[in-house]
Formats: sequence, structure tokens, C-alpha cells
Amino acid sequence: MFYQSRLRSITLILALGFLAAYASFGSYFAREIVIEITILAILAISLDFCAGFGGMVSLCHGAIMGISAYAFTIMSVKLGLPSVPSAMIGLMAAVVFSGLVGWVTARTSGIFFIMATLAFGQMAYTFFFKSRWLGGDDGMGGIDRFDLSWLGVDMNDALVFALFGIAVLLLVYVIAAILLRSGFGRILSGIHSNENRMQAVGINTANHKAIAMAASGLMAGIAGILAAQHTLYISPELLIWTVSGEVLLVVILGGIGTLIGPVVGAIMLVMLKHELSNYTDYWHMIVGMVLIFAVLAGGRGIFGQIEYWLITRHPPKAPHLPPAKEKDLA
Amino acid sequence: MLEVKHLSKDYGGITVIRDLSFTVNAGERRVILGPNGAGKTTLFHLLTGVEKASSGSITFAGNNISKMNAVERARVGIARSYQKNNLFEHLTIRENLMLAAAAATGKSRWFFRDVTNQADMKTRIEETAEQVALTDQLDMMVSAVSYGNRRQLEVGLALATRPALLLMDEPTSGVGPAMIDTFHQLLETLPRDITILIIEHDMDLAFSIADHITVLNFGEKVFEGTPEDTRGNPSVRQIYLGNGDETYGASNDHA
Ligand SMILES: Nc1ncnc2c1ncn2[C@@H]1O[C@H](COP(=O)(O)OP(=O)(O)OP(=O)(O)O)[C@@H](O)[C@H]1O
Ligand SMILES: [Mg+2]
Repeated sequence: MFYQSRLRSITLILALGFLAAYASFGSYFAREIVIEITILAILAISLDFCAGFGGMVSLCHGAIMGISAYAFTIMSVKLGLPSVPSAMIGLMAAVVFSGLVGWVTARTSGIFFIMATLAFGQMAYTFFFKSRWLGGDDGMGGIDRFDLSWLGVDMNDALVFALFGIAVLLLVYVIAAILLRSGFGRILSGIHSNENRMQAVGINTANHKAIAMAASGLMAGIAGILAAQHTLYISPELLIWTVSGEVLLVVILGGIGTLIGPVVGAIMLVMLKHELSNYTDYWHMIVGMVLIFAVLAGGRGIFGQIEYWLITRHPPKAPHLPPAKEKDLA
Repeated sequence: MLEVKHLSKDYGGITVIRDLSFTVNAGERRVILGPNGAGKTTLFHLLTGVEKASSGSITFAGNNISKMNAVERARVGIARSYQKNNLFEHLTIRENLMLAAAAATGKSRWFFRDVTNQADMKTRIEETAEQVALTDQLDMMVSAVSYGNRRQLEVGLALATRPALLLMDEPTSGVGPAMIDTFHQLLETLPRDITILIIEHDMDLAFSIADHITVLNFGEKVFEGTPEDTRGNPSVRQIYLGNGDETYGASNDHA
């Protein structure tokens, strides 16, 4: 069950503060890294929402993000709609796809759920890959960033765009936190804990899970719009299942079911990747070893483990702190 | 209140409930007795809609609910506690009760508002905790409380939905004599606007709280009557009480 503890708030502020400082004082390259982190972190929050709190470990979050990016680009580039309505339609496409995946898969669980989401993701990938109208494997370009000149800022400036990304990340975190604290989110945790009993007290758990997937899809869709706006170009690569795999890795690395953990995980992974690739081509192995360590050390992830230490060293005064538990994946 | 007519259930050719009919009045405490495998739990599965009856009908509060699924039946006020603990593990007792109360009051459609600090929710959680004597354990994790406490919570989860009909499947299974007393008190203090069906192996408890007793054997009703009549009935004695050992099954645990 989700609680926005003080530790989590502090971590959120530190993480966003770090990103803002890194972008502000860093080079153009640093700003690109920050944007990459924000997109990955948003996607990871979206996945933690359904996997960590609803037990739905999806392997199609890359596809959800990609569908939103494609729908946005089709509207704005192919059909010439203004960027804000195009973005709305992009988000809607993500919500519909994700809700559909949730609705179809809601009666499955564990490995079957994972495989079904993988299949949905691959279907979407193949669709865009094969579509000539949408550029096939070349994808599409010609995307414009949002026009924020009325605010006196130029979104084509890397710093402005990085700060925009950080603001959107904060927004998505807040949306996820509010949903998880709501009656809806509590019941979602209840379904994760014991679906059968939740039905016995009168919850249509299949519908509830489908709605949770749709909500998660909204967040993944936001990552998709941001990704399209970042590179000004999209291709089916956004939808490849390894993207979804990497997001899951980030969630586990940071701490599944903690909501802020995925943000920490995204920062860690992208920073490690860029720092290490300066020195070695084998950075994948080092990241892999960090992950193995994170999983072996209780499976709580980096943030999750720190939170666990702090809670067990100073037992909570309020009962609100999340229990130290083995979080099951499936 | 509850009218069961010609209810049958077979599992692939094996008849577990056979042509069962009975009526329970509003506010009644009905005890279901029967040896192991008699079909008592299966009867509860049929009443709550987790299993579909092979034939027969169930009428609850004047409506035929035979076609309703389990979720719909829960929503019209049928709640159930389980023979084997079926709780929200890894959560506190307060959170457990909150989930049941939130579910029953439609809070699953609250997308923005928190329910944990809501006044009517708090009252309901505290009242339920008091009913099942868990007030002192409210903030403990389910995994940290005793087995007996978990049995109390099992009933608490059902009560937190404020049911009209409460089905209790061996609430005292596996607990000691002191805890049986706790359950005895609990049952006596529950308001009469709740109709209760209870499967109970502890004879003293069963006979003292029952208004009527229905005895099942091999899925069939073999007797129905007041506790006194039941005690005196020779066929019941033969099936269930055996050779006059009235505590048969009291220590019978399926936990
Ligand atoms: N899903 C099922 N498939 C096949 N047979 C079943 C199934 N569920 C129950 N049974 C059988 O139905 C019979 C009645 O089971 P039930 O659990 O209702 O008994 P009970 O009266 O609750 O017994 P106990 O006192 O042991 O709890 C048993 O013989 C059992 O093996
Ligand atoms: Mg039984």
C-alpha cells in the first residue's frame, strides 16, 4: 500500500534537484542525458504503478509509449493538427491501447500476463514496422516542439527542454501518487495482495485492473510525447520489447512498489551507462552486475533497500511506513 | 430472508449437494452441522456464487440471486468468512479492514480522494475492530499477529462490509478454548439485523447460539430443528455425535 513518507518526499526533491542542477550547470550533452533520464523515469513510474502496486508486470510499456508517440506524430505531422490537440490524441491512443491490454489480460496473472503483454507489444511493433505510410522501419521526422514562446522560453533550447522534462516528471509522479492514495489505488493494492478476497468483498477485480492499466498507459503516453518531442523523430525502435525490458530493469533496480525508486533507478542506469561507456565497451556487464547485486540483496532495489534499513533501524512511529516485505514480482 | 430450493451441485458426476432446501428467517442464527466432507463449505460456495449450482434456486431478501455472480452477491449484502484464512497478507489489520470497508462503500471509484483518513471510514474500521476484539492490534501487520487474531480478522473482513447475511465457515477452527469464548461473545453481541449462517464444529458454541440447526450428511439435509430437538434426534446422534461424544470435532482443525 502506498504512502508518501517523508523519506520519499526528500528523495524526490533530491532527485529532481540533482537533475535540474546537472542540466543547468552541465554541457549540452549533460542536458541530453537529463532528458533521457526524465523520459525513462516517467516510463518507470508508469510501470511501477501497475507492476509494483497492481501486480501486473507488463512487457509492453515501450509499445504504449511508442503508440502515443506515433499517434501524436501522425496528428501533428501527417494531418497538420496543432501540437497540443495532437498530444491529447496521442495520450488517448496510449490509454485506449493500454486499457485494452488490461481488459484482455485481466483474468490472467503471473507469467501468463507477462507473455500476453509481450505479445500485444510485439503486435504494435510489427504494425508500425510494416506500415509504409508511417515510414516503416525508418520512422517519421518533422516533429515540432511545443511552442512555449508565450512564456518567453524557447523549447528548442536544450536547457529549457530538460527543465520542461523535469517538470513533467514531477507532474507524473504527483498523478501516480494521488491515484495510489485514492480509494482506487488502495483497492488496487488490495487486489495485488489478495485478488480472491477483494472479489469476495464486492470488487470487480478484472475491471479494476483494466482501469489501472489504462491509467498506467496515460503516464507511459506522456513519456511517449516527451520522447517524440525530444528527438523530433520517431521510429519503431521505441516499441521494441527490449525498451520495456529496460524499464522493468529500472523499476527493479530502484525498488519496485516504492514509486520513487524507479526515478532513482532511471538516474542510476542512465548515468552508469554514459559514465561507463566512456571507459569500457562492456558497460552492459557492469550494469548487469549492479542489477544482480540489487536483486540478491533482498530484491528491494536500491531505494527499497535503503528505505528498509532506515525503517528496521528506526521502527515507524506511525504505522504508515510501508512494511518491509518480500515483494513478489508476478 | 434466505430461501434455498432444491439446490444441487455435482463435480464431474460426484454429487456434493443433493436437492437441498431450507429457509432462514431475518435475524436468525442458523448453525450448519455435518461431518467432514458433508458439503458445508460447498453450500457456502453456492450461496456466495463462487461456484454455480447444478440446479435449484436461491432467493435472498425477496430476489432470486441464482444468476448473480460472486461480486454481485457481495454487493447485495452477502459476506463470508473462510474456513482457511484468506486475508490481505503483508498489510496491517487496519488496512485489511479499510479495504473491505472501502470496497463495500463504493470507494473503488474514488480516483483522487484518499479514504484512509475519512471520518466514516475510520468509524467503521474502529467499530468492526471492536466487534471482533482487535482494537489493540489494529496497527499490527497480519503476519505479526497470532493465529487466533487472524481468525478474528477473517470474520472482521466480512463484518466490515456491513452485510445483511453473514456466512461463517468454522470461525473457531484450530483455535484454543479461550479464543472460542471470544468468538462466543462476538457472536452474541452481533446485532440482530445481521442474519447468520455458521458452520461450527464446537458443539457447546453451536448449541448455545443457534436458533435452528440444519444437519447435512453426504450433501443431503438429514435434520432440521431447534438445538434441543437436534440433541435428542437419534439419527443426528448416530451420524454426527457418534457415541455420545458431544465434543466431536471441537479440536478438528483444517487450518
Ligand atoms: N472442486 C471440487 N471438485 C471435486 N470435489 C470437490 C470439490 N470441492 C469439494 N469437493 C468434495 O465435496 C465434498 C464436500 O466438500 P466440502 O468442502 O463442502 O465439505 P465440508 O462439509 O466443508 O467439510 P469440512 O468439515 O472438512 O470442511 C468433499 O467430498 C470434497 O472432496
Ligand atoms: Mg468445510
